[in-house]
Amino acid sequence: MSSSTLTDPKAPPPPSRFGNIKRAWLPEKVIHYGVWILAVLLILGPIVPIVWSSLWSTPLYEGGGSGTLDNFRKLATDPLWWSAVANSLQFAVFATIGSVLVGTTVALLVARTDLPLRRLYSALIVLPLVLPGLVLIVGWQSMWSKNGYATHLLEQYTPFTVPFDLYSVAGMVVMGTVLGSPVVYLFARGTLSSGDSTLEEAARCAGAGPFRALLTVTLPLLRPALLNSGLLVFALALETLGIPLILGTSKNIDMMSTYLYRQWTGSADGGGGVLPAGAVMLLLAVTMLLLLRNRLAGDLARFTTTGGKSSRPANVVKLGPFGWLLSAGVGVVLGCATLVPLSGVVLASLTAVLTPAINPFSLLTLDHFSAILTNPLYTGAIGNSLLIATVGAAIATACIAVIALVAHRSSFRLRGSLEHIVLYPRAVPGLITGMAFFWTFAILDQSGTFRATLWAVGIAFGVRALAMGYAAFYPSLAALGADLDRAARSAGADWWTAMRTIILSLLKPAMGISYVLLFVAMLNEADAAVFLVTPETQVLGLAMLQIAANGLGGTVAALGVIQLVITAAVLGAGRILFGVRPNV
Amino acid sequence: MSDLVITNLTKKFGRLTVLDNVSVTASDGQILTLLGPSGCGKSTTLWSIAGLLKPDGGSIVVGDQTLFNHDSSAFLPPERRDCGVVFQSYAVWPHMKVRDNVGYPLRLRRYKPEALRKRVDEVLELVDLSDQADRYPHQLSGGQQQRVALARALAFPPRLLLLDEPFSNLDAKLRERTRDWLLQLQRKIGVTTVFVTHDQDEALAMSDRIAVMSTGTVRQIGTPEQIYNDPADLFVADFVGTSNLLEGTVIGRSNGILTIKIDGLDQAIHVPSSIDSDGVVVAVRPEALALLPDDASTDGYEMTVNGPVLDRSYHGHHFRYRVGVGEQALVVETRERTDSSHVRVGIPRDGYKLFRPRTATAPKAAQ
Repeated sequence: MSSSTLTDPKAPPPPSRFGNIKRAWLPEKVIHYGVWILAVLLILGPIVPIVWSSLWSTPLYEGGGSGTLDNFRKLATDPLWWSAVANSLQFAVFATIGSVLVGTTVALLVARTDLPLRRLYSALIVLPLVLPGLVLIVGWQSMWSKNGYATHLLEQYTPFTVPFDLYSVAGMVVMGTVLGSPVVYLFARGTLSSGDSTLEEAARCAGAGPFRALLTVTLPLLRPALLNSGLLVFALALETLGIPLILGTSKNIDMMSTYLYRQWTGSADGGGGVLPAGAVMLLLAVTMLLLLRNRLAGDLARFTTTGGKSSRPANVVKLGPFGWLLSAGVGVVLGCATLVPLSGVVLASLTAVLTPAINPFSLLTLDHFSAILTNPLYTGAIGNSLLIATVGAAIATACIAVIALVAHRSSFRLRGSLEHIVLYPRAVPGLITGMAFFWTFAILDQSGTFRATLWAVGIAFGVRALAMGYAAFYPSLAALGADLDRAARSAGADWWTAMRTIILSLLKPAMGISYVLLFVAMLNEADAAVFLVTPETQVLGLAMLQIAANGLGGTVAALGVIQLVITAAVLGAGRILFGVRPNV
Repeated sequence: MSDLVITNLTKKFGRLTVLDNVSVTASDGQILTLLGPSGCGKSTTLWSIAGLLKPDGGSIVVGDQTLFNHDSSAFLPPERRDCGVVFQSYAVWPHMKVRDNVGYPLRLRRYKPEALRKRVDEVLELVDLSDQADRYPHQLSGGQQQRVALARALAFPPRLLLLDEPFSNLDAKLRERTRDWLLQLQRKIGVTTVFVTHDQDEALAMSDRIAVMSTGTVRQIGTPEQIYNDPADLFVADFVGTSNLLEGTVIGRSNGILTIKIDGLDQAIHVPSSIDSDGVVVAVRPEALALLPDDASTDGYEMTVNGPVLDRSYHGHHFRYRVGVGEQALVVETRERTDSSHVRVGIPRDGYKLFRPRTATAPKAAQ
């Protein structure tokens, strides 16, 4: 080792020692406050006009008026509203029960038994979560409605029949269960695979049979996950627009979301003050539910089992020959819920008419696709959606990364509030996000020029998807030790330089995951577009929703197939590149 | 001149005081060790020096530059302090090659490419990693990663080198080798070093001066020998090295000489001391005690104790016996081997120290 140069450390430093160190072009504080203010304005700001106009006698952009509770009085005396509330509650309660039952059962079978084909079933049950929800609903319509293709086949060739009418609250509950089960499944599965199976083994050693161990140890451990995901499903069911709009319209079954939708589309004054009043009620309900969920989630730690992951494979219950029987049953149910409707969409998109009376393969045609690709309305919608998804997901990912860094890696005074702010969009129904931005733009930009641009739609979609992207991004950030940025700080990097060169560099894969998930979400988003789109800014999701609400057709199916293909391609690429997994 | 002077440093987390008026200095080129059990505030002190934590009171000055002063609201952010920090986790950036890790602080200081390369090569040679320059951290062993962290800390000549439990992730053998190596290196480059550890062996072997800390306060500052041979209080006596702590009662006092009765002993002992409490604790190092044959002379011993051997164990370079003394037990470490079930233990005249009991002197330590 040569030491001649190492007397250098003691040499007096150059006089301008600090002046020439590289610095970020914005001071730390400016970035922190800037991010916080921007987050508050974009996420919480737009809620203000809704609440305000619900308490105001005239539309805000008209000027004048005064504070009033009249809007709520009108809402409370509208029998249609109350029937919508009743339907919503009925739907949400039963869809939640169904989701918890199905999700838990499948999670237990996959994680704790040797059920044949369990990996396939694990993929099947998550499918509704990763695919555009509208496509699946359209698929169910084409196959399982009273005059659906599969229903007819079933009634013709077997003694069975479909035990529910898809166009009723019961049918919607079935549909809601299909869309809600994956959420419960993922939560339960997560608990089961992170939980130590030695807990059950201990019960077995103490003399319990496998099913007794399941009932007395496993299920109680699952309780927090079920409560947590159940509340989430309940909230999602309350706010969903797609299911009641597509399945309920023909029989005039309204829920809270469709009530608001019809107030907006059906009356000349956009529903007047009743609309914001109803929106505030729905917002309150969903917010309360998610606050309750956060509160419970805080207490969940005491149910967490200690110790690292067990390296041994989990203790599985041997099902024996009974396993194949059970597997067949599970396969039929999951296949009917996902694969059959999906093939229905594909079939409907490729046939002139999908009817049990005629062999569909004699009616094959590409007319529906050419109809879409030659109609500027649809190509415009597809182009707009792709543009919003590509650019919007990039911007949203960048925002999420910076917000997460300020919230978790800075000494900013208000950092604690930032995470709550960025997660808040979860508690805002998509319909209301769109409404919020509509009114905000209407007030800030009376000329309506900004509202007519894709940016208006894109910002709303971005805010709507923020919480989901953040949830996918944050775990990777939390896994990076704080010493990594401390080391950079002591090496001479200011806050932003340390974040940029170390933390963000290390988080590129996490940002990739976040981008893919945001892309898919923004590509398929429909609810938030209801209030915002203009003929020039139509988007894929809403175009589908609107046609589907007016009845089934090959066009909807073809549009759905296009949506499906793009989604699958992006998710597949994300899976290969970044290991993207389904995420709640 | 890069003396580090810390004065009345105070830090609170909520209502919890983790640093309570800590004052300590490290002279230019020396190693100052902050020693104490976990939660004593030693790491908090280190983070405060590095600027990664902002204290609530006091000041930190290096040479003629104030890093932190509560009264004048001076707080230099970490990137302006020129401290080389080696983290317990090493914090080597996994996405950068060894060369880029070490060159990072230089790039921030706008070194020209050739100057940067030259300096990185020098520092890597210093830590014996020249042949690993183009590898990624995950390709290195734990010990090598630690040397990368050290090279990075030394790359831009730091005015202070801060080491946070740097050896805790190494296995016992490697730990000893690294300790010697680091000591040599520090002597060669002569950078003022603050070293945090909970391991008293490390502290004794590495330090010019040791500050023993407990519950946010400095209990004693001194050279390793002062700390070991002349602990300032019961906490230091107990924490640094092992001590037999025998409880006793003062039964007489005259002209500054205390007569003390130790539970389980027949004879009382007479010690010059100014302690005014009724109870006292007598601390004796196990290696200071001797096993005496029955016919041996007791010259040079304050007293002898007869007692049963409760258990014995062999530690290679010594035997360890526990000898019953009334209700208490006395640990004796000696090279002598005995098989008898009763032994006579000699306590040498200057081999013990007297302390106030813990509750009286150190109410905090008793919590």
